[in-house]
Amino acid sequence: MANVTGGGPAQASSEVESPGAGPPATGPPARSRSGLLPSREVWRERILSLREGSIIVVTLVVATYFALNTSSFFTSANFKTLLPYFAPFAILGAGEVFVMILGEIDLSIGGTYLLAPYLFYKVATAGLPLVPSVIIALLACMAVGLMNGFFVAIVGISSFVTTLGMLFALEGLTLIISHGQPVATPGAQVHATTHNVTHVVNGVHVQLPETVNHISTFAKVFGGGVYSELVWALLIVVVLQTVLTFTRWGLYTVAVGSNKLGAAEAGVRVRLVMLRNFVLCATTGGLVGILEAVRSATVQPDTAGANEILFYGIASAVIGGTLLAGGSGTVVGALIGALFLGILHDGLTLQGVNANYLLFYLGLAIIVAMTVNIYVQRARRGHGSG
Amino acid sequence: MEPSRAPDDVLRVEHIAKRFGPVTALRDVSLHLRKGEVLGLLGDNGAGKSTLIKILSGFQRQDAGEMFLHGRPYAPKSVDEARAQGIDTVYQDLALIDELSVYHNMFLRRERVHRPLPFLANREMKHEARRALDEIGINIPRIDVAVARLSGGQRQAIAVARTVNGDADILLLDEPLAAMGAKEGSMILDLVARLKEEGRVSIVMILHNYVHVLEACDRVSMIQDGAIALDKPTAETSVEELTEIVVNEYRRARAAAHS
Repeated sequence: MANVTGGGPAQASSEVESPGAGPPATGPPARSRSGLLPSREVWRERILSLREGSIIVVTLVVATYFALNTSSFFTSANFKTLLPYFAPFAILGAGEVFVMILGEIDLSIGGTYLLAPYLFYKVATAGLPLVPSVIIALLACMAVGLMNGFFVAIVGISSFVTTLGMLFALEGLTLIISHGQPVATPGAQVHATTHNVTHVVNGVHVQLPETVNHISTFAKVFGGGVYSELVWALLIVVVLQTVLTFTRWGLYTVAVGSNKLGAAEAGVRVRLVMLRNFVLCATTGGLVGILEAVRSATVQPDTAGANEILFYGIASAVIGGTLLAGGSGTVVGALIGALFLGILHDGLTLQGVNANYLLFYLGLAIIVAMTVNIYVQRARRGHGSG
Repeated sequence: MEPSRAPDDVLRVEHIAKRFGPVTALRDVSLHLRKGEVLGLLGDNGAGKSTLIKILSGFQRQDAGEMFLHGRPYAPKSVDEARAQGIDTVYQDLALIDELSVYHNMFLRRERVHRPLPFLANREMKHEARRALDEIGINIPRIDVAVARLSGGQRQAIAVARTVNGDADILLLDEPLAAMGAKEGSMILDLVARLKEEGRVSIVMILHNYVHVLEACDRVSMIQDGAIALDKPTAETSVEELTEIVVNEYRRARAAAHS
């Protein structure tokens, strides 16, 4: 609820809205408007009523643990490693939130993630400029979303089955058109130039050659720049949370996910709402695929990697507080869920955990953190059972 | 039974039939609604009342028969289209969204936005919703909570308030008192009486309690076995007569089943 009626901040201010005409006996006492800032209790209520509240707490605890125990965690060099790692999950999670609010799931983002960079490569190498090539690849992802929506909303196949089929089909299609071979990402190549730099050694001026790497502006924007993916992630999360909380798109998405028949009776065009959210979700998969291909400068037909990033994306949404059952969810939560996964992965790596143990520890840590998350949620709601 | 054709009929329904696979919900239903009138629609469970309401509201389409709104052919393709022509409905299941706030529910599909921007005008909707609920006199302490947290009667009141607050001139109420206590129920009946006095809207209302029917309605139409079995002004009928029709039908059906 909190995420729909203003992401929480609207929660505490309602009593102010009710005029004197309302029955005064049963309503909570009206808060005075005198103070410029809301009282400490109001802020406390606001923060606690955020769906994302408990995962924020859990993430802060994990980050503090690594900051105290690993000297290299809280360094700018590490942040540069951490940031590109979690940003893709956040973007995928943000798209997935919309489909999950509907009570559906989209596994095909692993497929669009894999296919989109190859489409981009094909179109760009056929001679089109880079940005239009990206747009064409993303349009193809939208078509995939449209097909998902068609099979789920109109034919009536479950979204799990539909998008699982689409995942396999798209991954297979990628293998077919790529012949299983990686290719260099267009526009993402690193150009090394050598400059003679003057140094002063023992009072003597010496010219020494140094290599400087350059990437194009296109590459810097689309994933190659250090903060590029982070900026994309933040931008997408802000835009999509706004769409979810403050527009009809979000309102109808929640309505359909919460009560499909009721929404239809009220006049909401249920199929249209489902279609457009599947389109949105599939597109985020394609965008992340292209960003990652530009960042690594190669397009890889790596189906296992695509499946892994798909699950990290869904996990980010779920960890962030979006219900698999539908009806409610939060995009900001998906960002924090992704950050949590990123910190955990990064922190464990820095602690020198053996690569073979990493996934095992990661799995255990997710379950422990989610257990804590549930208890924090119950505590703030003031009752003992979920 | 051919409905009498008065010039002030706002809504006329002629020979409507609707089947769901092997089940015939409506065989041949004809009825009419005059301007400013409150028509009580009666009938046993499964008689087809709700199906008729859903056809009138544009949610489903009839297999046969015609409808006329203000004398012109009326064939809504959607709930939105029916609403645009002035027909709005309180469904039996209330069509409320549990996860949305009271005021978002009240404005569902009629949201106010900050034109030309697409953002919801929540403050305006809150004020408007509060005003509408106060007008009915239903006690909803907070209108920014999810409707899931409200009682059955409060939910029902919100569904009724939502429909009444629109600018429809024909209201279809499918069991508006179903989940209500005596006090809340009489509030809704008071509201219906007030609307009748104002004379702006005409109402078709499904009710189960015959005392309520005689109190609130100008006329009753009873659906039995997918067709209209009785159509009388309430002044000319009684609880006894209405009960007898239903009981006779039940006895006949049982006798038929035993023979």
